[in-house]
Amino acid sequence: MNTTLSVPLLLVACPLVFGTCVYFAKTATVRNALVACAAVATMAAGVIAAISGPLVVPGNGALALAALAAEAAAIITVIVVAIRIRSWSIGALGALQLALSGIGCMIERGQGFHAEAPAFVLDSLSTILVLVVSLVGPVIVLYAIGYMNKHHEHAHPGEGSDRRFFLLMVGFLGVMNGLVLANSLRWLGAFWEATTLCSFFLIGHTGTAEAKANAKRALLLNSVGGVALAGAAVGAARAGADSLSGIMAVKALAPMALLCVAAFTKSAQMPFQSWLLGAMVAPTPVSALLHSATMVKAGSYLVLRLAPAFSGQKLMFLVAIAGAFTFAVASTLAVGQSNAKKVLAYSTISNLGLIVACAGINTPLAYAAALMILSFHAVSKGLLFICIGTIEQFIRSRDIEDMGSIMFQLPVTTVIALTGMLSMLLPPFGMLLSKWMAIEAAIASPLILVLVIAGSALTVLFWAKWIGRIQTVSYHPAYRREQLPPTMLVTEIVLAAAVVILGVAAIPLYHRFIEPLALSAYAGVEVPEASLALLRAVKSSMVWPVFLFIGLAAAAIVIALMRFNEKHVRLPFLCGENCGELREGGTLSYSFRGMKDARDTAWSATLYFRSIIHEGAITRWCSLLALLILIAMFGEIGVI
Amino acid sequence: MKEFITVIAALVAAPVLGGLLAGIDRKLTARLQGRVGPPVLQPFYDVVKLLHKEPLAVNRVQVSYVFLHLAFMLIVIVLLVTGRDLLMVLFAHAFSTIALILAGMSVRSPYSRIGSQRKIMQMLAYEPILVLLVVGVYLSTVNFLAATVVTTPRPLLLTMPLVFLAFLMAVAIKLEKSPFDVASSHHAHQELVKGITIEIAGPYLALVEITRFCEQAALFAVIAMFWAQNLFVGALLAIAAFVALILVDNCFARLTTFWMVRYMWTVPMLMALSNIIWLYA
Repeated sequence: MNTTLSVPLLLVACPLVFGTCVYFAKTATVRNALVACAAVATMAAGVIAAISGPLVVPGNGALALAALAAEAAAIITVIVVAIRIRSWSIGALGALQLALSGIGCMIERGQGFHAEAPAFVLDSLSTILVLVVSLVGPVIVLYAIGYMNKHHEHAHPGEGSDRRFFLLMVGFLGVMNGLVLANSLRWLGAFWEATTLCSFFLIGHTGTAEAKANAKRALLLNSVGGVALAGAAVGAARAGADSLSGIMAVKALAPMALLCVAAFTKSAQMPFQSWLLGAMVAPTPVSALLHSATMVKAGSYLVLRLAPAFSGQKLMFLVAIAGAFTFAVASTLAVGQSNAKKVLAYSTISNLGLIVACAGINTPLAYAAALMILSFHAVSKGLLFICIGTIEQFIRSRDIEDMGSIMFQLPVTTVIALTGMLSMLLPPFGMLLSKWMAIEAAIASPLILVLVIAGSALTVLFWAKWIGRIQTVSYHPAYRREQLPPTMLVTEIVLAAAVVILGVAAIPLYHRFIEPLALSAYAGVEVPEASLALLRAVKSSMVWPVFLFIGLAAAAIVIALMRFNEKHVRLPFLCGENCGELREGGTLSYSFRGMKDARDTAWSATLYFRSIIHEGAITRWCSLLALLILIAMFGEIGVI
Repeated sequence: MKEFITVIAALVAAPVLGGLLAGIDRKLTARLQGRVGPPVLQPFYDVVKLLHKEPLAVNRVQVSYVFLHLAFMLIVIVLLVTGRDLLMVLFAHAFSTIALILAGMSVRSPYSRIGSQRKIMQMLAYEPILVLLVVGVYLSTVNFLAATVVTTPRPLLLTMPLVFLAFLMAVAIKLEKSPFDVASSHHAHQELVKGITIEIAGPYLALVEITRFCEQAALFAVIAMFWAQNLFVGALLAIAAFVALILVDNCFARLTTFWMVRYMWTVPMLMALSNIIWLYA
């Protein structure tokens, strides 16, 4: 087994060093070239790390000291930022966190700790995360090159510089890699704060008043998570642990509950969801990065990492309830939105809720489902965000109702966006497969089951509505490919290809990687036989008829479309009052004769249930309920 | 090999059986309304005639989804007769319906779009009942496989009578029976003309009809599964359900979409849930 620092150093330092070079590049050309190099180098580092296999870096005095310095530096930076934006609450939380870290150190010193636990661990779980971060992340960074170029045409005067933007984007990948590798709580805390800071600066990038306010909210809520993390470190030190593996070994409940709170803030679980919704003011590549490869995945990763050690605990049942509750409520809220980015944000929150719910259910099957959602969601959501970014730049609107005719204007992007959306609900794509496993795993508890079922039904509802809107198209004899900057087009195609390949390979990937990982995570833990039987049954789920008939349908579609020509086109039925075979710029006219022979165009809007789904009221009451679940978690372990 | 023959036989039998059921349905309905009604084989004549028509369409997207609609329904049949995971059957079935919804939504026709949106509401109304049915099967047989339903000693009807009733209401929605026939109407003079399928014509409409036959066969097969130990009793159960649905269809007027959702999320949902909770206990 590898025990040197080289791989963690490569994963963390590679993006950071390149990011710094980007920051000091003088011209835009050099900068873009360096960003591209950084992206490729990060991908290479991720692949090298995955190939080089498991790794444990033992802790030692020097590393512990470095971790302490890094954590202190990160927290002090938060306090400095708090002073600069004049936020007392963030400053107070930062000071509290610093104090807690100090107390943690004192306790550790008092008990004579010698940093025996590994500082960094790269096992199968962190390998999956490293691959997600360092393969999906760089693609989004590449997309940002083309996007930011166009973005300047209508940028706010107070906007941050491009060099800072790319430093943060690239550096984010480095600190995120560090976060998933860290085993010592000090290193975890340092990287945790670093991701919080990166997201703060990126959300506030455009410099508008709204962006500043939302960045502040993100920092505030994530500082709550930071305090919880520091509190967990104190609790762990008292229980005789200074690392994640230590907490798992001594099964310390109080630190686990605090780490769950930290994870909930980062993963935007209710009642902490509002910062992720506010994050959509940032340029779209930032949203893409936050929602898919980085930031929100940190929270769900942390819960997944610790969950197996707490199998059978009531605490985990409450975690599952919290996750399933977020899943159902966020899906409901997504149904009522017509703002595309908001729908995507709620969809992310709901999927993260499902991951947390699976981690809370805490069986190998649920664990496998959570891992599948985590990886497939990262790719699909990254793809959807960059597509929406392109569409938004083109039509200058985020409203789904305005996307009625993009199929003709942006055929490539629209088809790619449709691929991404269908991958969220079409069998046998990975997302559907994992939802299937999640429902089967949730069967152990009726309450979680009902929440997961309701959430799944509502998920289908909002995706179907959206797909129906953007694929609406009049008949056109020929389509012209849109003119996009090459980095945008290529990254869209690369991610779409990844979505399709991963979707087709979902079952083999499950056999090869996910199932062994889920079983090994629960080695030595007593698991009910019924849940193991369900896990084994996934193997025998027959996918050949699915592929066979989809293949046949695809062939039939190709033949039908090849034989389809202008002769076969008819106007839709409008009570026989269509305005003839009028042609406007080569396309058919879809207007009809209304009152007094006036020409009118038929239009029907999509259902958003505005009379039922009041976003404000639902958010308020459900946040309160979610808070009660959190309090119940602490009541359960006897802290309150 | 045996499995292969079963699959082929089911793929042939399902549309034939479904078509016959549709024919009998039309005949019985006509008699209930004091009409003579078309011959029992009329649905097949319709499909053959439609297949020979010119392939007219409004756009290309629509055409693609019609094929997916049929493909996923055939997947349902195959998964069901080979005794696979019922939850997967449910997902394939849901996507088949979604494909039809998307076909209806892809055209610039208000009737078609309204029909599609109402179909989504129908899904929202009945889909939870279907999931609860699958959950009930798991709790009764400790397995998600359709195959174990046949081998389990106790008929499902006896362990989950309330789920059975709720499922019948879901079937009524699926088959567009009154009072739930909101997405598509048999009578062209109503407010949404023909609804979801209004812009689908010729051979494509024939494919939609064939899918409907398959779906009908699959749904009644699931009803028969409630007494799978003795297929004679199971068949009687399916026939009784079939006649009851036709009677209900002729006794009710169609009601509104939101009434349907409210009703389904209260009465049948509570029935199914109480049955499920009883099984947990």
